[in-house]
Amino acid sequence: MLEVILSDITVMGQGYCVIGLERQSPDSYRSVRPMPPQAFAWREPFPYSRGDCVCFDPVPTVVSPPHLEDQQSRGLIKTARSLNETQLIECLRKAEVSPDLEHLFGCQVQRSTQGGKAVWVKPNEARRSICGCEYDNVHFRLYPEPAGFSLRTEVLLRSDERLNSVPVVDREWRRFAGRLVQRIQRREPLPLAQRFLNWSVRPKLLATPLKFARIGLPRPKADQRCWLMLDSLFPQPEDSWLDSL
Amino acid sequence: MTSLQSRNEADALELVRKCVSRELPSGVPVPGDEEDFVQTGVIDSMGWVGILSAIEETTGIRNFGNPWPDEQPQSVRSLAKIVCGSISQTAREKVGENIALPAGSTVEVELVGWGCALGSVRVEAASINRECGLTPGTIEERAGIQSVCRADSNEDEATLGQKASELALQVASLEPEEVDLVIATSATFLSFPSLSAVLHTRLLLRESCGTLDVGGACVGLLHGLATARSLLSSTRQGVALVVASEVHSRRLCSPRVPGEFRGLFGDGACAFVLRCSNDGTLQGPARLGDLVWGCSGTFASSLRVAMREDNELEVHFQGEALAGAALSQLTRILDDLERRSGKLRNDVDYFAVHEPNPRIVGLFAERANIPREKIPLVSRTFGNLGSATCGVSLCAALSKVEGGPTASARPLIFVAAVGPGLIWGGTYLH
Repeated sequence: MLEVILSDITVMGQGYCVIGLERQSPDSYRSVRPMPPQAFAWREPFPYSRGDCVCFDPVPTVVSPPHLEDQQSRGLIKTARSLNETQLIECLRKAEVSPDLEHLFGCQVQRSTQGGKAVWVKPNEARRSICGCEYDNVHFRLYPEPAGFSLRTEVLLRSDERLNSVPVVDREWRRFAGRLVQRIQRREPLPLAQRFLNWSVRPKLLATPLKFARIGLPRPKADQRCWLMLDSLFPQPEDSWLDSL
Repeated sequence: MTSLQSRNEADALELVRKCVSRELPSGVPVPGDEEDFVQTGVIDSMGWVGILSAIEETTGIRNFGNPWPDEQPQSVRSLAKIVCGSISQTAREKVGENIALPAGSTVEVELVGWGCALGSVRVEAASINRECGLTPGTIEERAGIQSVCRADSNEDEATLGQKASELALQVASLEPEEVDLVIATSATFLSFPSLSAVLHTRLLLRESCGTLDVGGACVGLLHGLATARSLLSSTRQGVALVVASEVHSRRLCSPRVPGEFRGLFGDGACAFVLRCSNDGTLQGPARLGDLVWGCSGTFASSLRVAMREDNELEVHFQGEALAGAALSQLTRILDDLERRSGKLRNDVDYFAVHEPNPRIVGLFAERANIPREKIPLVSRTFGNLGSATCGVSLCAALSKVEGGPTASARPLIFVAAVGPGLIWGGTYLH
């Protein structure tokens, strides 16, 4: 059995993609993506949170770049252990981290005018599909969609490099934004929600020493581009932050 | 439907088609105007946001498509309808073209946000005297300085400028993405990317927000305001952020710099948000008046600062001559501002002026016959902040307005600065 600390739970279609940290030595961890049998995403009910420790039986897995962390399993088993946010970030800082854009995925990050100026990498060039980084600034943007909205962020790395229009797939931030939009009983909730995120929530993030993000890559589509996604943004949102609305 | 409406709709359709085509793989044709390109799988969520962003960038329409109309397909036609609707709502710009101002219309620029940030280390006069090799009491008695603020090891021009900018945007109730232009000035920031570019990145401003750096040392802020005012009046830009930021403590620390010069300076930044109004309706708490500026080379030799080939800073500083020239010029700027504003100095609520040191400010107040309490004094406790001095003083003046400045209670403030050259500039808020 392999034990991992769940570090990232991201929205993937109707399910969740999960990444855990496997301890390599007292000072290092590596990311592992446990997958359900015969699928990429875990479906509801999925009773786990970031920081939970889980065990699973690894089964032989065929991986393709950049998702070298993929690990097929027969299911997750919760252990009694769970880490709080500070402890989890401590572990994440001992896993794959990059001080700058160049080393996030070990390859050149591409940009174009497409995708709202989001950035991408070539799947065959990337050496991994998940990496952590410290950030110095973040801004949220909500784009309307018929069924709701799309949450994007601008992220400033410690290296003074900027990631434009990064889609947020972090489950908790997506849920938080959804609850925020629901709470705003107006015809046009998105600008107000965006304002709340940037003026009220953002300062809480920037004020803590827990500013840490995990950037991930989705499965490439036909265009052979892996767009950079915000898999986890720490600190994680708290429902009490909505009380000031 | 009028011919103008139909032309606008045709323009909007064309613009949307171009934005959609940018998101399609090469060779894939743009879907029909009525076709829902997300449902049909032609474009995914990445592409959808890309289209919305591209339309926003092209038209300048904020929060484009929000809220998305019920039952509307994600099609070229729906997007074009929203473009037309938004434009007729703002009634100020044509699709894909710059703002076309009606003949005879007046463009006003108002100040809607301000903020300052000072180095977090306070150094008392006694310490300054010691480290600058001055006899005890010199910096207090000759310059009137009690302390200066200096950047700590985590602070620099960019961090101070960023902090001031964030405060200014907060006062203006504007999001960074609403800024169209950032203008920065600093005599001490000697790196590339330039300060405006660094601030652009750190503040996560929109990619299409322009950046510009202007010089002028102690007059740099006024040069920035003048440039912003001009660009706001003549282009489609709507909001400008003007930032002045100086960290003298790292540039002047060389033993070659005379102690009586080095000891005067502190570290700090200020930022101002300017907004253009082309419909004559000003909501902001202060209008930016005319700017006056110039250069009188007669006194150029009183202060010369140069970087030598060995990277050492060389400073020629004739304190008394510079003080005399600065005093005289500051008084002249007041005369100019009185003429431009049509207001006498007695009507002015506050004077935000460059402060070489507190002693010169006192002499200036005396010579210009203005009450000292109308000059929010910066240099006594923070030191001479270079280009940020008059800006920090202006922030202090605006914060002194009872209940805060509003559109119905706008203060009258004269702003004036002089710098090496001798260059000078002034403006007024009304």
